[in-house]
Amino acid sequence: MIEVKLHDIGEGITEGEITHFHVSPGDAVKIDQPLVEVQTDKVTAELPSPVAGTVKEIKASEGEVVTVGTTIILIEKEGSVSGGGGSSDAPKAEEKPKSTHAEEVKKQRTHTAVQTMERLTRRVLAAPYTRKIARDNNVDIEQIEGTGPGGRVTEQDVYTFIDGGSKSQPVSEPVAEETGGNSVAQQPVYKSLEAKEIPFKGRRKQIAQKMTQSLYTIPHVSHFDEVDLTNLLDLKKSLKAADPDGSKGMNVSLAAFFVKALQLALRDYPIFNAKLDEENEVIRLEGEVNMGIATDADDGLIVPVVKNVEQKSIATINSEMKDLIQKAKTNKLKPSEMKGGTFTISNVGPLGSTGATPIINHPEVGLMAFHKTKKMPVVINDEIVIRSIMNVSMTFDHRVADGATAVAFTNRFMHYIENPAAMTLELI
Amino acid sequence: MSTAVKTQKLTMVQAITDAMATMMREHDDILVLGEDVGKNGGVFRATDGLEAEFGEKRVIDTPLAESGIIGTSIGLAMNGFRPIAEMQFLGFIYPAFNQIMTHASRIRSRTLGTFTVPMVIRAPFGAGVRAPEIHSDSVEALFTHMPGIKVVIPSNAYDAKGLLIASIEDPDPVLFLEPMRCYRSHKLEVPEEKYTVEIGKGARLQEGDDITLIAWGAMVDVIKKAAKEIEEEEGIHCDVLDLRTLYPMDRDLIAESVQKTGRAVIVHEAPGTGGVGNDVVSLINDTSFLYMRAPIKRVTGHDTPVPMCAIEDDYLPNADRVKQAIIETVRF
Repeated sequence: MIEVKLHDIGEGITEGEITHFHVSPGDAVKIDQPLVEVQTDKVTAELPSPVAGTVKEIKASEGEVVTVGTTIILIEKEGSVSGGGGSSDAPKAEEKPKSTHAEEVKKQRTHTAVQTMERLTRRVLAAPYTRKIARDNNVDIEQIEGTGPGGRVTEQDVYTFIDGGSKSQPVSEPVAEETGGNSVAQQPVYKSLEAKEIPFKGRRKQIAQKMTQSLYTIPHVSHFDEVDLTNLLDLKKSLKAADPDGSKGMNVSLAAFFVKALQLALRDYPIFNAKLDEENEVIRLEGEVNMGIATDADDGLIVPVVKNVEQKSIATINSEMKDLIQKAKTNKLKPSEMKGGTFTISNVGPLGSTGATPIINHPEVGLMAFHKTKKMPVVINDEIVIRSIMNVSMTFDHRVADGATAVAFTNRFMHYIENPAAMTLELI
Repeated sequence: MSTAVKTQKLTMVQAITDAMATMMREHDDILVLGEDVGKNGGVFRATDGLEAEFGEKRVIDTPLAESGIIGTSIGLAMNGFRPIAEMQFLGFIYPAFNQIMTHASRIRSRTLGTFTVPMVIRAPFGAGVRAPEIHSDSVEALFTHMPGIKVVIPSNAYDAKGLLIASIEDPDPVLFLEPMRCYRSHKLEVPEEKYTVEIGKGARLQEGDDITLIAWGAMVDVIKKAAKEIEEEEGIHCDVLDLRTLYPMDRDLIAESVQKTGRAVIVHEAPGTGGVGNDVVSLINDTSFLYMRAPIKRVTGHDTPVPMCAIEDDYLPNADRVKQAIIETVRF
């Protein structure tokens, strides 16, 4: 009998809520077939079957929160016989015909289960040569949306992805149809507020714990400044004009520029790309810049990480960021895609805020939030001109760095943003 | 060779005769034996004139017994002769299959190299000449599966002479398959002197970047035609390979070509199931998997005996079928 336990699915989780069982007692299961869906602090994960066999017993219920190490399901391994008999064949031969009919029924169930799995873990269609190109360029082909026949990833898709280009059209088409449909059926429905209790667990609880931990261990200091986006917006406009339909991947979001400018600034002020290890009494400066992108998903805040931004073009950062945010919103992030952050940004501007005191993503040292951009009268050369101004909020760990350094760092960031041409000189 | 080589324009069957005569003049231990190879000069005139030149003791008319021809040749080969046995048609080789399978191919291994069997079995084969049943079989796959025997198939007069001389010089048994359709389909300038074409080396007949076409024997003309037409019609440039030897196969040439093009179509007239084309697919899989842009296609004869002549053309791969496969592969 094999015990399927809740194991540490990633990042040292301790407990998870069982959201759905894919199998019931008596079901035949294959190796790697998903058995149960568990919502942990960070991800919704599926526990696959470690063996082929039959589900004997389910030892937990949906909605239950189980801790790591708890046995959830018992599986009888294929070939083994309950009652622990040896290998004497004679009596067992009689049992066989009975089970074949049942097997047939189970086979169908197994079939649907396998289909579910294929939908959940992406199986990419691609010719071997396409895979070679992706492999040679260190690109995870599973990240690429295919535009070829049947959704196949084509060579062009890989090159487009490498160049940081925009995603395939076939994928976006159905979305466009959907929004079209929705706008027709706009009917306001008024109803009374519903009084109810929301369980404080899962993602929400995890966020709460992290925030508490961060705020109680790190002496936070925030400072604010105003950055002039006019030049950057002009640049963005001219890029868009050169690529009106977005097919060349030149229509890059402001956030991608922010990430690049921050990385350049972090190069000069690496103290903000660090982690404080109090136990060992060291401040660990990180070798790469992995930018956490605070993302507002349905279940709450989640922070996917764009890795090694120092090695990536702005266009690549843009496409990876879009991809990660999309995954975050559809709950498809892998644990590895949320790990290893060294600095975090929170782009709340599109939502409309003008200031905040962001809480650091523990154990990082700094976090910068970007706020709404407004056209404002500004005095330049003793003249009042209209410029596009954005507030930024920079929070840092005062144990590790001081205010003057943080201001200098923010100024360096602003220098790149206000002079995007100067930024190009620094690009590798 | 900077001095001009004296050549003559020969058909493939004439080049084969020339190869045997050239070698028999040089070496007394070379014999020819088969049904009607003497006075008649063979059913396709491949041994025409040999008996007149070399006499009945070296060009031997045998009884109608393929097993005996091959058995005798094996004995001669083990005792210092170099026999060239002719099967009238490859489809007649089945009675001799046992001799080839159990003796010719494994004497070297059985005697730990003490004895070898330096013999050549020549056999016309293939469809497209309106021959009756059995006469048109392409069963090269039966022999590539057999360790210890080489399988050589020329597609033109020049290669035929060079490959046959190399086969006669080879210390081990060589099955030399002569596509009947090519016997008199065209003439080439063939050097009068002795020369060899290396066994195990294929030939690139045309350079192209889009797709590799691979064939042997009579199908080489088919892929050449398809390559020419598809270039004119669709602008698709084909790398055209004539394998010339099926065992051992030119691994390097195939790998180099498909790694360049990323696509391949293999054409043979033998039925697809168990055909040598499958070995080419495996070889590409082993050497070049990550280079492939599309699944490899095969265009082959159907899984039936070669039909009667009225519908023979429907059985054989032709340029249109090959072109269709090229388009499906390139547009995959």
